[in-house]
Amino acid sequence: MLETPDGRRSRTIELIAEILEVQVDTVRPPQRLREDLGLDSLQSLELLSLLGEELRLELPMEEALELETVEDACAFVERTVAANA
Amino acid sequence: MPDADALPLVEAQLRRFLRREVDAGSLEAGGRISDAMLAKVAELGLFGLSIPERWGGLELGLAGCCSVVTQLARSDRSLATTVGLHNGLGVRPLIDRGGDALRARWLPRLAAGEVIASFAATEAGAGSDLTRAATLATLDGDHVVVEGEKHFVTNGGFAGLFTILARTPDRGGARGQALVLVPRDTPGVTVGPEEHKLGLRASSTVTVRFDGVRVPADHVLGEPGAGASDALAALEWGRTLMAAGCVGTAVAATDAALEHVRTRRQFGRPLLSFPSVRQHVAAMLRESFAMQALVMAAGRAERRGDELSHLATAAKIVCSEGAFDLCDRAIQLHGGLGYLEGSGVARMLRDARVTRIFEGANEVLLARLGTALYAAESSAERRRLHEHDGPLAARFDDVDAHLEVALIRAREIHGLAGVRAQTLLQAFARADIALAAASACLASRSPERALAHQAAEDQLDRAERWIVAAAGAPERSARDALLVEPWVERRLDASPSSEVRA
Ligand SMILES: Cc1cc2nc3c(=O)[nH]c(=O)nc-3n(C[C@H](O)[C@H](O)[C@H](O)COP(=O)(O)OP(=O)(O)OC[C@H]3O[C@@H](n4cnc5c(N)ncnc54)[C@H](O)[C@@H]3O)c2cc1C
Repeated sequence: MLETPDGRRSRTIELIAEILEVQVDTVRPPQRLREDLGLDSLQSLELLSLLGEELRLELPMEEALELETVEDACAFVERTVAANA
Repeated sequence: MPDADALPLVEAQLRRFLRREVDAGSLEAGGRISDAMLAKVAELGLFGLSIPERWGGLELGLAGCCSVVTQLARSDRSLATTVGLHNGLGVRPLIDRGGDALRARWLPRLAAGEVIASFAATEAGAGSDLTRAATLATLDGDHVVVEGEKHFVTNGGFAGLFTILARTPDRGGARGQALVLVPRDTPGVTVGPEEHKLGLRASSTVTVRFDGVRVPADHVLGEPGAGASDALAALEWGRTLMAAGCVGTAVAATDAALEHVRTRRQFGRPLLSFPSVRQHVAAMLRESFAMQALVMAAGRAERRGDELSHLATAAKIVCSEGAFDLCDRAIQLHGGLGYLEGSGVARMLRDARVTRIFEGANEVLLARLGTALYAAESSAERRRLHEHDGPLAARFDDVDAHLEVALIRAREIHGLAGVRAQTLLQAFARADIALAAASACLASRSPERALAHQAAEDQLDRAERWIVAAAGAPERSARDALLVEPWVERRLDASPSSEVRA
């Protein structure tokens, strides 16, 4: 499931929902991590760190700090996969 | 500035009042602080300490307010908590974020102590994690309707005005929050009975329910959605004032201990003549000095308009832990008498205990500060407050540089996974705040230079120990840096009992 971009995208969203303890269908790509999901920048780092572990990716911390939306997080995962390929 | 004019006068009246009318033992025995006592506090102007002059307050600034709260806490911690909470968390959001009409309506009554303020963020399901607050404030025409229940509301038993943290789902994002002002006499507000507590027994702590409570929309303070950061801004005042209360406790505990070891004789000599007793007292004086220096540094930062959050957090942690340690030492030096309530030091310890929990549990604050350091969001600049040169300043620079190197090395080893290595992050945070405390001692203008230098040295030693502890961790994997050994994990997950057989 984690081999395809769609698979990674759904897993990213699933993980975000798991961490926030909310239904997966309530997490949508345009949502902002902070205002809509209630994560501050430090909590989003924690989220991305878990994502990195789950998807076995080395996510660079500097970029991780700049993510604002769920979509950013999905795109960030894809960029890192492409860079590592 | 009103600060300079008003403070000496207030303090002189306050000393007289505390000497004549405040006895912590009887205040505690009488249960919640009486209306008559609140009226006397109001008469002294203490409910208007931080409120601007144009609304009838003394406009003291954070440093002046801290000085008053320290004086109060030397006599009684419950009284200090009541006044400190009102002047900090209670009124700051309204002063800083309220509209003009709202401020004109409430601030004069708050300054006069006709109305006392509370701040209600905590709920059954939202303590350290306030993003989980479930209380709702929904728009309905030109009103908002508040629904929910707040726990542990300090001053709630007699407060006339609550500033609550609520979710505002129709504005500021799905999880957006805002601070909302709710007058007590609004229909639907129910105040519960007083909690029975370990300490601070004369202060009020209650649960407050809000059932379909309608307040005009201008009672939403600041921008909808900015509630979390508005609450943090108020907490900068709250935490510093609470730390100032801890300084008062520290001074009172040290005074009580000194008095006792000077007069009590054993083995034919006063206790104070024994080297280990002298060492206890010296450590107490150094610790109190560092605590006070940090609070004063926070006060100066506020006056200059500098960033306050780092110093407020450092002061909160150092002072809450320092106050408890000093009370514990004071009890030890009193011997068996210290364990009896009549000594007064037992009450100080009970009163001080909560300060490591409320306004952010220390473990949580340390983990967050550590994460900010690790993510390089928090810079080394923030912990350097002194300007002097000299050998101690040079040692500060060395330890400071060690911390930066340890952080860089940890980032190289753990990468993003390190943000979950909580004990590692807390160790970095402890080193960081010890450095801030050392620097505050060096920046202090106290004429007691020898004491200032020794207090700074203690903090630098402390910082070095935490850097060594953190620097050991990178040799292990990120998972091991959590410092929880596999056998502990098994034990903790296996059964509810913690019984151990050797
Ligand atoms: C006397 C008193 C007065 C108070 N006054 C007020 C008030 O006026 N207004 C108000 O809103 N609240 C008030 N509080 C509530 C207080 O702020 C909370 O108790 C505090 O924030 C901790 O929340 P909690 O009790 O839910 O503990 P929890 O969040 O359940 O935490 C319990 C413990 O778990 C640990 N912990 C929790 N999260 C983490 C983490 N992420 N990492 C590591 N360790 C963690 C900490 O050691 C913490 O002490 C008051 C509390 C007391 C006792």
